[in-house]
Amino acid sequence: MKKARRQEVDTNLNINSMMDMMTIILVFLLKSYSATDVSVAPSDDLTLPFSSAQKAPEVAVNLVLEQGRILVDGVPVVTLTKQTDEKSGKELVAVPESEMQGQNIGELYEVLYEKAEQAKALGDRSNNPDLAFKGRILLQVDKEMPYSVLRSVMYTAGQAQFGEFKFVVYKQE
Amino acid sequence: MAVKRKAIEDPDLNLTPIMNLVTILIPFLIMAAQFVQLSVIDSTLPAIGPPQEVEPPKPDEKPPLQLSIALTGTGLTILGADSIIYPDGKPEFAEGEEKPPTLPCKSGGSCQNVEDYDWKTLREKLNLIKDEYPDDENVILVPNSDTQYEIIVRAMDTARDDPDADNRTLFPFVVVAGGAM
Repeated sequence: MKKARRQEVDTNLNINSMMDMMTIILVFLLKSYSATDVSVAPSDDLTLPFSSAQKAPEVAVNLVLEQGRILVDGVPVVTLTKQTDEKSGKELVAVPESEMQGQNIGELYEVLYEKAEQAKALGDRSNNPDLAFKGRILLQVDKEMPYSVLRSVMYTAGQAQFGEFKFVVYKQE
Repeated sequence: MAVKRKAIEDPDLNLTPIMNLVTILIPFLIMAAQFVQLSVIDSTLPAIGPPQEVEPPKPDEKPPLQLSIALTGTGLTILGADSIIYPDGKPEFAEGEEKPPTLPCKSGGSCQNVEDYDWKTLREKLNLIKDEYPDDENVILVPNSDTQYEIIVRAMDTARDDPDADNRTLFPFVVVAGGAM
């Protein structure tokens, strides 16, 4: 009986120090809170370059150009291969020959064209000028991507009615 | 006396509801927190094809500026503004000899990484060109096939503004051209 009573007395936990910690974490997290819808998933295959650009990103079709593949809105579309460059002898990422249709990347063109048509239909139906199709596309490109791949991707996007490129970069402090 | 005793008996504030609130808020804020700041660089559709021939400047009128910067493995070449870059006349090269870039790599030969390119001198030259053409805001980047994306972004940054000169706007409208096919 005596033992049980002693336990009852000790039920109050002192949480003051925990509260202190939580308050500091809360303030810190509120500071880094951001409501932008553009998100990157950094990995070994995707490291964005740093830049002094200050413009805030806005929502658009999201094209990710990693070392091994191309993704559109998170869905893998094309797998890239490595080819040895004849001049320098370096191994460079390249679009496989079987995917190319002239200068277009066939599979990517299909997907982007579909996206453009969807966005256009949505814009026509809504009558809201903010939702009208403007051909914007966000490009998240790995910093070591050779320009030959980027050029093919930009050309394909251009063919699929996306003419306004927005290169996503890390903001320099 | 009785009142005072009551106050001593209950000095603890009940923090449990605040704790509950904070514990829920923290996971939510961690989810929404962004630890890297993102920004975007605008660019429009490049023209695919061979680089356009720049017309020879007429002596009587100021020719329009068609500024291009070629990014190659050996350095940076500024095209379309020869009279400003070479005030003493363009250096002559023998027929068939490969022209060296305007701004070769710092280490000489081929550039090893981004820092090896001479961005500082490029910015100085662009400042000079901007002095001559204050209304022009376009620049065309012509990268090589194996030029890394990082170098293109760095060139865009260098051409956009000059942080050393009170963020003077240089050539903010950058178009990436088709490059040498």
